[in-house]
Amino acid sequence: MLRFWPVWVLLLGGLFFWGMQRPNPNELKSVLVGKPAPSFSLPLLEPYRPTFGEEMGISPGLDKPVLLNIWASWCIPCRTEAPLLERYYQQYKDRVLFLGVNVQDREEEALRFVRQYGLSFPSVYDGRGRIGIEYGYYGVPETFVIDRSGIVRARHAGELNQAQLEAYLRQVRP
Amino acid sequence: MRGLFFLTGLLFFALAQPIPNTPPPDLSPQVFEIAKTLRCPVCQGESAAESNAGIAVEMRRIIAEQLAQGKSEAEIRRFFVERYGDWILYEPPARGLTLWVWLSPLLGLGLLVYGLWRYQARIRAQAQRLAAEVPEEEIARLEAELKRSANGD
Repeated sequence: MLRFWPVWVLLLGGLFFWGMQRPNPNELKSVLVGKPAPSFSLPLLEPYRPTFGEEMGISPGLDKPVLLNIWASWCIPCRTEAPLLERYYQQYKDRVLFLGVNVQDREEEALRFVRQYGLSFPSVYDGRGRIGIEYGYYGVPETFVIDRSGIVRARHAGELNQAQLEAYLRQVRP
Repeated sequence: MRGLFFLTGLLFFALAQPIPNTPPPDLSPQVFEIAKTLRCPVCQGESAAESNAGIAVEMRRIIAEQLAQGKSEAEIRRFFVERYGDWILYEPPARGLTLWVWLSPLLGLGLLVYGLWRYQARIRAQAQRLAAEVPEEEIARLEAELKRSANGD
């Protein structure tokens, strides 16, 4: 068996190389990518009701790309992400629907967060995080990019930076 | 009398202790049986049965609801797989790359047996070859030597 050592070395080397080429295990692929985004409708947080109505969500025939951001007031990365989302919402609000989903949170804490960062994009309240599970979320923050026809194009687990957000918006904006 | 009080107190104290590892009364043990086979998405190495993270609590609630709707274990597991992929299962199904992971111990064992068999065969062949190489007169000399030592010379 040892006579064939170059073959063994090559095989082991190939295995290591293949292992290195595999996608980053921290980059969590969503099974939803390429599939229709699950529909839902949830009550909006109180400050958004006068402008957007009682409830909001994802439904077929929305005819607008959606940036679905799952967040919670206790989540530290959400605090750095919120001002960035607000800035881009101001820029894209006519072309892309920014929709926040507040999960696993207390409503009053969520409201304080919204006030603190002056968030004007609508957020719905999902205290138990059920919609999060519908979307197969791992934690907060997590962002789903949904195109005009309601198909999930990308999922971003963790905090978004400016370059990533721009790239996602480029992917779906009309 | 005081001893009786003490014993009664002790009994009440013992009864007041929570029984470890039993599910809370509002969820059936079957919920935990199913949750045990599912990962908690936000935890490291904890199942949805063990974790107290909000998402795991909600997963158990979903399982309980679906059981109440009469769904089977397989259907409930499929519900989570449709949202999270096979990753959510503690025992991923044997197909694709996972099939190799399942088969690799067998494959390793097979290779080991093959290696040992080859090694044995080589040793045996070597012994036979050596035996065949010994000249006739050498064998005769050794046999005579053995006979002599057996006779006690």
